[in-house]
Amino acid sequence: MGNAEMSHFTRRGAIAAFAAAATLAGAAYAQDADWPTGPVRVVVGFPAGSSPDTLTRLITEPLAKRLGQPVVVDNKPGAGGVIGVQTMLMGNDGHTFATTINGPLTTSQRLVPNLSYDPATDVAPVALIATSPLVLAVNAESPAQDLAGFVDLAKAEPGALTYGSVGQGSGAHLTAELFASAAGVEMLHIPFTSYAEVTTSIVGGEIDSGFMAPSAALPQVQAGALRLLGVTSPEPSAVAPDVPVMAGQAGLPADFQAELWNAFIAPAGTDPAIIERLNTEINEILQDPAVTEPLLAMGWQAQPGTPEELATRIEADTAMWGGVIDRVGAAAN
Amino acid sequence: MGAWEGLLYGLGVALQPEIMLYCLIGVVLGTLIGVLPGIGAMAAISLLLPITYYITPEAALVMLAGVYYGSQYGGAVSSILLRLPGTPQSAVTALDGYPMARQGRAGQALFASMVSSFVGSILGIVVLVLLASWLGRVATQFGAADYAAMMILGLVAASTIGGGAPAKSFAMVVLGLILGTVGTDVNSGVQRLTFGSTQLMDGVNLVALAMGLFGVAEVIGNIRGSDHGSPDKVTFAQMKPTRDDSRRMVMPTLRGSALGSFFGSLPGTGSTISSFLSYAMERRVARQPERFGSGAIEGVAGPEAANNAAAITAFVPTLTLGIPGDPIMALMLGALVIHGVQPGPMMLEARPEMFWGLVVSFGIGNLLLLILNLPLIGIWVSLLRLPFRWLYPAIIVFVCLGVYSVRGSSFDVLAVAMIGAVGYLLALARFSPALLLLGFVLGPLIETNLRRAMLISRGDPMVFLERPIAAGFILASAALILWSVWGAVRSARRRSATR
Repeated sequence: MGNAEMSHFTRRGAIAAFAAAATLAGAAYAQDADWPTGPVRVVVGFPAGSSPDTLTRLITEPLAKRLGQPVVVDNKPGAGGVIGVQTMLMGNDGHTFATTINGPLTTSQRLVPNLSYDPATDVAPVALIATSPLVLAVNAESPAQDLAGFVDLAKAEPGALTYGSVGQGSGAHLTAELFASAAGVEMLHIPFTSYAEVTTSIVGGEIDSGFMAPSAALPQVQAGALRLLGVTSPEPSAVAPDVPVMAGQAGLPADFQAELWNAFIAPAGTDPAIIERLNTEINEILQDPAVTEPLLAMGWQAQPGTPEELATRIEADTAMWGGVIDRVGAAAN
Repeated sequence: MGAWEGLLYGLGVALQPEIMLYCLIGVVLGTLIGVLPGIGAMAAISLLLPITYYITPEAALVMLAGVYYGSQYGGAVSSILLRLPGTPQSAVTALDGYPMARQGRAGQALFASMVSSFVGSILGIVVLVLLASWLGRVATQFGAADYAAMMILGLVAASTIGGGAPAKSFAMVVLGLILGTVGTDVNSGVQRLTFGSTQLMDGVNLVALAMGLFGVAEVIGNIRGSDHGSPDKVTFAQMKPTRDDSRRMVMPTLRGSALGSFFGSLPGTGSTISSFLSYAMERRVARQPERFGSGAIEGVAGPEAANNAAAITAFVPTLTLGIPGDPIMALMLGALVIHGVQPGPMMLEARPEMFWGLVVSFGIGNLLLLILNLPLIGIWVSLLRLPFRWLYPAIIVFVCLGVYSVRGSSFDVLAVAMIGAVGYLLALARFSPALLLLGFVLGPLIETNLRRAMLISRGDPMVFLERPIAAGFILASAALILWSVWGAVRSARRRSATR
């Protein structure tokens, strides 16, 4: 199942920063009416210690200080984050929320048969938290010196070049297919289950390439085992500033981009005042270097925004990835 | 830095009082969570992560590693005493450890497991120090075809571990293989045998399966009142293995250590497989394989040495390549990132104090484990004197807590109850649960690697014979099958001749 890359180990930050964030938050914020009247629960669809979990805890610690109530992180891992969203929807009581990676809101409706919720109608967007690009990695001894060389190589013998991903329908898989169709090339997909396996396979020369989380690829670049040919963000990423942007290169359209993200969500029907309050608090938290720096160390770029902007992003990504899934037939069943 | 200089340097790091203290905390916690069924190193380490933000990265890594290898010691205790695997990798220890305990030899079984665990760890450390970079390179040369062929050999070699009727053994392996296919198919994304449940999309929970088949099934079996007599208090003299025991332990411990060291260093194989294969190997080479399953000390010593050696060499890909071989290693690498230490192939050069300090702490930690655990044997054995009406409800509570701790899923708790009931029926009909577990663990590895290899070779099966590593394993599997068939034919002839 997809999106295992989001739980990749290297994206984790200093929680020591919590203490600092808490003091900076201050007590200036006036309490809204009554909410929250009790502890707030934030469900995470990944295990404790994973990247989405650490990201969530970076947000919930200062959030608790600002709300004046404990904020409890509840890990409900499974099915690529889908179980986390399902758990949130079961506990619709005005105090239960969730953070999720993009998959359960944008691709799961096509990849998971009989998904029990509809992301468009059952989930209320609250705030985008952070985004992450992917990087295209090849073995350091690959003949492809840059993206153009890679595309030439792929065009020379259609379907001969292999790429690894962390599973059918994962961000790594769909991004590679998006790239292939934009560049007009054909590559063979070899699914794995973790970036550790993909890395081993590229370093060992078994497969040719892979779209990877920058944090998984960068240490191997320093060791001279991998070479990075491009990054999928529209601008150079703060995570990997030296890697050239793919958009506009080697025949790719100028608007080529693919980003993974993590967002704070609520069950549909949640009081708009509560969503507004949470959005304000989270956006303020995302201004704090004590939060943004550890996020960046994990490979996440903090991205404040309105609930409407998040809704637009979900809609656009659902359409974009949906198109890719339909094209490659990655859907289950 | 050479090995000797490195070790001396590491001693300087690991002997600091602070590091020693965290090492002690780690191994004590590890033993405890190992003894408690279900609660594994994974859950314990993720709970400890936030605490490590306040200590130095060396201390953090030493402590977390201590929890990891310490749990391998503890896991054997409940396996031997209660047939309740504290960790999945110690399930196989129950096969002979538990019969030993029922024969009043619990002390010896525990002693054997502690000593072989210690020897396995020490040999694992030697391998780590001398061969780490070589093993790391070997690991990247292992392709999908090689993994598939190696696991096929493992399955062939281990498919007789349960003893008993071949047809029943075969049925259990196949059932295990089928259970292993549950969940999302890696290659196609199709849901297999999930019956529309998202809870099953990631497959059946290994911990729930091991606890249910062994522990819960055993508890149900004992409700019928086949109450074994409470053992007397053991003295230290009674724990000591007899001269015969010691003689029998030597080779299995060494073979188990070698096997474990090898499998541990390959990413993705892990210590559960190495303990199963060590048991299978001992049963193969034994002069009287029929002793296995009814209290053969070799069946305790080999697997325990193997899983402890594997727990040490699991650090090979992690430390030399920066690639975590299993989810627990991934968590530990994550702990390093939090401390601003970038794990990766460069770590050995950039942060030698981490590598060598950790290696030396393995030695210290294992020594501490041995010193701590030997006197504890008497206390563990006295647990068996608790009346079952207290012991068994407590076990069930711990099993439920442990299974829940894996991923916070009440579905898994229900699953362990159902698996326990099925396990009880299987035990009544004399089917081997160990074989089911074996099929379950190896099946997905064989399948994904086989299909991946075929995908990469564009459907050409010759890839299994063209790659030297894969070809070697395939030939060995074929030889083993022929040997087994020949052995069966010969004994059948002998039987008909005597008739």
